[in-house]
Amino acid sequence: MTRYLLRRAPSALIVLWLASVLIFLVLRAIPGDAAAALAGPDASPEVVAAIRHDLGLDLPVVTQYGQWIGGLLSGDLGRSYLIGGDIAELVGDGLGNTVTLTLAALVLAVLVALLLGPLWAATRSRWVDRALTAFHTAAVALPTFVTGVLLIIVFGVLFRVLPTGGVPPNGLLDRVDITVQYLVLPAVCLGLPVAGVLTGFLAETLRGELRQDYVTTVRAAGVKRREVVLRHALRGALPVAITTLGLQTGALLGGAVLVESIFAWPGLGLLVEQGITRRDYPVVQVLLMLSVTVFVLVQLLTDVIHAWLDPRIRLGAAA
Amino acid sequence: MTATDPTATAEEPVEVAVPQRPTTFRRGKGLVGLVLVGVVVALGVIGPLLVPWDPYEQIPGANLLGPSAEHLLGTDDLNRDVLARLLSGIRVDLLISFGAVPAGALLGCAIGALATLNNVLDVAVQRLFDVLLAFPQLILAIGLAAVIGPGTTSVVIVVVTVEIPIFGRLLRAAVLRVRESQFVTAAEVVGAGRGHILRTHVLPNSLEPVLVQLALSMSVAVFIEGAMSVLGIGVSPPHPSLGAVLTTSLRYLDLNPLFAIGPLAVTAVLVLGFQLIAQAANAARGA
Repeated sequence: MTRYLLRRAPSALIVLWLASVLIFLVLRAIPGDAAAALAGPDASPEVVAAIRHDLGLDLPVVTQYGQWIGGLLSGDLGRSYLIGGDIAELVGDGLGNTVTLTLAALVLAVLVALLLGPLWAATRSRWVDRALTAFHTAAVALPTFVTGVLLIIVFGVLFRVLPTGGVPPNGLLDRVDITVQYLVLPAVCLGLPVAGVLTGFLAETLRGELRQDYVTTVRAAGVKRREVVLRHALRGALPVAITTLGLQTGALLGGAVLVESIFAWPGLGLLVEQGITRRDYPVVQVLLMLSVTVFVLVQLLTDVIHAWLDPRIRLGAAA
Repeated sequence: MTATDPTATAEEPVEVAVPQRPTTFRRGKGLVGLVLVGVVVALGVIGPLLVPWDPYEQIPGANLLGPSAEHLLGTDDLNRDVLARLLSGIRVDLLISFGAVPAGALLGCAIGALATLNNVLDVAVQRLFDVLLAFPQLILAIGLAAVIGPGTTSVVIVVVTVEIPIFGRLLRAAVLRVRESQFVTAAEVVGAGRGHILRTHVLPNSLEPVLVQLALSMSVAVFIEGAMSVLGIGVSPPHPSLGAVLTTSLRYLDLNPLFAIGPLAVTAVLVLGFQLIAQAANAARGA
């Protein structure tokens, strides 16, 4: 297991390093001087030069990159130009909200898939099959912002039963029942595409499992269909489900930005949106790096879990 | 007959995991997809000619009107006819789907195919693709838009950049697979060069997965356009697009939820259409 991890980790680190160089260089290529923008149109050249020196923008690019990476690794994320304050503090403020939203969406998606996937694979009813095909296609295809706006129109405008934006005034931890009300629409919106993809893959893999010889053997021994699916086939389908889930991280990270924007959920997505509209590049830079890191690490973790669940990969890798 | 019917499993080889769906439904899916996309294309091409209003014209006294015979979808906050803006907006999304996506696909395929001719180049290109694919698509869009600034050009550049590594990878995998087949070995034996083999044997046999991905990517492109508008980095005012019209409507959901229905419906129909075409094409490959 450790050996497998050691074998896979270097390439993930190289990708992260290259991504950090790319992010740093690309954001440096933006036309216009941050120091001049900060100083305002009437500032004298001396003031601009002083600000440039303060921000470290007069240093060679390689030194600037080194300082940035060194800071990131030691937990110093730098300072925001325009929103103000330590980026670490800004990130800390939004992180809890984003993690809560993403986890809620993930739990929802997994529950829906575990319910509908086996049902879809084992059903003999044409109508259940059609309904699930329709659900799958809609969930996978419809953009997050379309479902988000529909949810707001139905539950917030027509029926007025759920809050359509923001977080509970006293924070997420004050009263769980109120937090759930605020969380349900954004979490459904964010989780739906993942639920669709996962349900589809799970059902497809289960159908494959059900065609295996061992299933015929167990069925011949008198085990019920439902039991074959839940007890035997589901176990065989698990590695694929985990990998699928890992690959959906990207969709979740991007989706979270959108969902936070639509439902005014004050997380990291809203921070990145603010960073872009106000051209606060140190903030954008850190958040881009953060999301790439999460994406790459989750994929690495997914591979490791997959190898752990499926000895063929683990042993093949060791050989 | 469902996929798990025991009589169907008896003759099939064990390793086949492709879901077996009835053929009629598969045909149905592809057909429905084509019709949905066709309807939106027709709306975008002919629609603006049939509406008496100009998408940029500010009509005096027509502020945030509800639907009426004169303005079928009402008017927006700047007194413009929503239907006229919606129909013109479709054109922007069609341009991105049928222009930017194929452009990115072509570039990606070219890079992916050429790189297989030279080992050093191949490694370099694969690393570059690794890095680009390490960014979630929408995050990449945000990063690029931060540099280029908002606007239609920005959306086009984002879509092209997102597609290049996807198609590059896809074609490379297909090329490597076909290159192993016997007829390619046979061509090598009679002395054909690598470039010649790539052109006449490998590429034509690698096209199927590319076509499936093309339909999927068109659906994603409509999503990216809308998402960038919602985030304020998409097609910039006063120009209309599906995303731009929808984003304006978001501010008036309480006042007039019908304002959002037009862009929502067209976006959903277009995206579903592309998705169904991709699913049908994929199923046809597996059969």
